[in-house]
Amino acid sequence: MTALVELSEKTITIDRNEFLKVKGSIDTNVYCVESGSLRVFVLDDYEEQIIRFGYKENLIVSLDSFLTGQPSGFFIQAIKKTVLKVITKQQIDTFLQTETNRILWSKILENLVLQQLEREIDILTNSPKERYQRVLKRSPQLFQEIPNRYIANYLRMSPETLSRLKKS
Amino acid sequence: MQSEILIQSLIEQSRQIINQVEKLKVNDLQFLSWKENPNSWSILECLEHLNLYSEFYSPQMEHLIKNSKTKNEIEFKSGLLGNYFAKSMLPKEKLNKMKTFKDKNPLNANLDKTVIDKFINHQIKFVDLLSQSRNVSLNKVKVETSISSFIKLKLGDTFQFIINHNIRHLKQIERILTERKNA
Repeated sequence: MTALVELSEKTITIDRNEFLKVKGSIDTNVYCVESGSLRVFVLDDYEEQIIRFGYKENLIVSLDSFLTGQPSGFFIQAIKKTVLKVITKQQIDTFLQTETNRILWSKILENLVLQQLEREIDILTNSPKERYQRVLKRSPQLFQEIPNRYIANYLRMSPETLSRLKKS
Repeated sequence: MQSEILIQSLIEQSRQIINQVEKLKVNDLQFLSWKENPNSWSILECLEHLNLYSEFYSPQMEHLIKNSKTKNEIEFKSGLLGNYFAKSMLPKEKLNKMKTFKDKNPLNANLDKTVIDKFINHQIKFVDLLSQSRNVSLNKVKVETSISSFIKLKLGDTFQFIINHNIRHLKQIERILTERKNA
């Protein structure tokens, strides 16, 4: 992943609550989080649903835009002041011209598919307690980096339920 | 201009507007309510003025987009009047004063910091409308203006008009910030 991040020639900073991306835009960049944290969410009829978080050393991307070049419905917002390395699609395309880099890139994508599968099981798991335990086991760091109310939304439960589960 | 390019540019401008206003939240109520003289607007009054416009246009545009039977068109051609209105909104080098319609004047309304959240929510709605407008014709859908229901603008021009109007008052807010520092 270091090789990928080294492609970046641009660093941007966004302040707390500022948007990196809003619904309907086409953003084909990949971002690597240097510091801070972000949330990726969708909005339907005024209700937010968080899809993913990004914090130190995570990659953040509107994968739909990145793969298709089409608009994406995601919002990406900084939870706190965040510094990001920007890697453009073009830089990645050039990077992928060599065999070794393509193998590396496959590994990154494979990893992402596995993460998505885990997330799918999260969402389909009925018991709030189990949902909480799955995520805690998988990403204990999440609970250090992200405020409770956002984690609760990510886990599809009320903040009260989450704090009760954390205590038990 | 291509419809898609216009939509993308307006979405990006909206994003910048949201981020610019988000930064204002660090200031306290007293600061945000400060005005140079009794007849000028405070920062909150500028934002509330824009909120009043959103409350006029957003529901109407949403209704039109949802119920339109038009199809999206590759090209958008600005209307004569629409183009004029949109351009006239942009602030000139030295901010030119414009007249405000009475029902859109927030002067001395009792405002608090929720005005900022309201503004940002309106912009998020606006971005959503821009996104939805990809399914309809920016040329054929016509929006009634707040001046008169007889004066209608193309949807594409209305979007641009609203954004330019936002930009105008954000410039005014920047000026208030400078005046406040020098006061």
